[in-house]
Amino acid sequence: MNKTVIEMRNIIKRYYIGQPNELQILNGISLDIHEHEFVAIVGQSGSGKSTLMNMIGALDRPTEGTYLLNGVDISTLDDYDLSRIRNQEIGFVFQTFNLISRTNALKNVEMPMMYAGIPRKKRLERAKELLELVGMADRADHQPNELSGGQKQRVAIARAMANKPSILLADEPTGALDSKTGRMIMDLFHKLHDEEGTTIVLITHSNELAAETERIITISDGSVISDTGVKDNAVY
Amino acid sequence: MQFIENLRLALTSIAANKMRSVLTMLGIIIGISAVIMITTIGTSIQKTLVNTFNSIGNMNYFQLYAQVNYRSQEDDEIINYTDEDLISREMLDKLVNTYPEYFYLNMTESFGSVELKNWKDQVLKANIVGRMNIEGDNDIKFTRGRKINKTDNDLHKQVLNVSTLFVEQYLSPDADPIGQTVSTDMGDFVIVGVFELPAIYEKQIYKPGQKTIEKVTPVYVPYDTVMALTHQENSYNYYAEVYYNPEYDVEMLENTLQKFFEDEYAEKPYMYIEIENMQSQLGMINTVINVITIAISIIAAISLIVGGVGVMNIMLVSITERTKEIGVRKALGAQNSAIRMQFVVEAILLCLIGGIIGIILGIAGGMLIGFVAKQLVTNFYAEYAELFTITIQPSIPAILISVGFSILTGVFFGYYPANKAAKMNPIDALRYD
Repeated sequence: MNKTVIEMRNIIKRYYIGQPNELQILNGISLDIHEHEFVAIVGQSGSGKSTLMNMIGALDRPTEGTYLLNGVDISTLDDYDLSRIRNQEIGFVFQTFNLISRTNALKNVEMPMMYAGIPRKKRLERAKELLELVGMADRADHQPNELSGGQKQRVAIARAMANKPSILLADEPTGALDSKTGRMIMDLFHKLHDEEGTTIVLITHSNELAAETERIITISDGSVISDTGVKDNAVY
Repeated sequence: MQFIENLRLALTSIAANKMRSVLTMLGIIIGISAVIMITTIGTSIQKTLVNTFNSIGNMNYFQLYAQVNYRSQEDDEIINYTDEDLISREMLDKLVNTYPEYFYLNMTESFGSVELKNWKDQVLKANIVGRMNIEGDNDIKFTRGRKINKTDNDLHKQVLNVSTLFVEQYLSPDADPIGQTVSTDMGDFVIVGVFELPAIYEKQIYKPGQKTIEKVTPVYVPYDTVMALTHQENSYNYYAEVYYNPEYDVEMLENTLQKFFEDEYAEKPYMYIEIENMQSQLGMINTVINVITIAISIIAAISLIVGGVGVMNIMLVSITERTKEIGVRKALGAQNSAIRMQFVVEAILLCLIGGIIGIILGIAGGMLIGFVAKQLVTNFYAEYAELFTITIQPSIPAILISVGFSILTGVFFGYYPANKAAKMNPIDALRYD
């Protein structure tokens, strides 16, 4: 068994605490995700999978329970430390790409490294490498509005990989793409998983996409209702 | 941290909304340009005054006025002061001998005009001006010979400096003026130097079309020579001028002078000497101009607050528009401080660019007003144009303060919106559409 990257125990998330409309979104989720895994978290909208994703991505703290990311307890960290964790450990891939406008592809990829305080020269080198990896080297100086959806998502993936994160956290990465480009993005994830050994957590409502991964965790009403378990061959 | 990056980001963002950025800057531009224009006019007036004063000649002297102190006497008693109680030449000589480092005399006095007969027996008039020492007087340009000096004065030599015009009037064209004798009813004088008459004489004193022979020119003779010839060595005056060495502190010199005359008049408590000094009067005028300039500048600077609020408003709009971007940046690991810095830098840059445009416009405006003033003087008051040396100079401290104030406005009015951006919840910001 590989090293555990994500270790969640009894995670509860409530909103509007103490108010009449108090809402419990996550009802005590426990899960472990290991290094080099390719996991899909599946659920209908309203199932709590977005909240779970925010939690995994260190954008939010649990109301109760413990979440250890590489052994660090996220629930006790302040805003500054959370931003460091997001910068170093998490690589976000969004449904709507979320590239920074009026900033070319190369600069977009450089951005997480800028916040990490990596010197300019090194950043540039690494950003070029990453664009090469996702097949976007020839579009490095293009603005986001000059790129197609699939190209934008590839730049976004390169950006997510910038600081060599522990997890690539992809939220419906093909949701805004046609099936052909969506296929290309999924192939890119497979490539990163197979060749780079990247740990990928894919959040989706599509069972079809989930079936491509090694492990499917299904969420419903804020609880894990099924987990196909760790695949034996997920060892590198 | 990533200062250069922030600067680049801010520039991109300002350039992306050019029209909006310029409109936002307008308040700052107007405020700063008004301040710079006012201070430019203020310093130009000061410079013009100083230059005009300096062009008049040596201003480093004290004016002494003999005054009667009526209050020191019993009621109704009539003070019988005599001429001997006034400032005597003896006193002044004593002063200069006591403090040769500090003071010197440079008396100038017109002794009225004398009638002369020239080589063709024509009658002409010349104005006898007693000068003690014109060696330091660089405004007079000599064409031949030498200036009358201190030795001439001390030895009561009967020597003379005349103008080129006088030479033309008095001597035959082929005569060498140096060494020629001029006979007056005071005595005979020998010409030792010829000087050029300042242009102002032709412009203001002589009438157009006046015959050369009718033009009265000044001739310079040693002051004490005239005093001796007219038996006025021991004169008493209500007024005297004492020149000082400007290398010493004026206030100290004035105190020394005051003390000296207090001692001189120790026996005559009803007399005192009032001392005035051109430089300190000029200083007072400068202070008044400064106060007025600063006061008007502060009023103009109020518009900077309006400009600052405009910047704050647009920054608030900007962060609302860019909420999603802020969310993405936070998701990518931007610390709150980095987001805050990004927007503060943007606000500062907005104000700084506005400030620089304002400074340029202000200097241009000030110079334009100065230029118009110059044109007005030369075209409508040509006779005074010679007296004024109009100097247009922008105020360097005002420019530096304006740059600093622009930055400060950016920080002050940019901090609140930037902090609002920094404190955004990343989840809400990411969800914003």
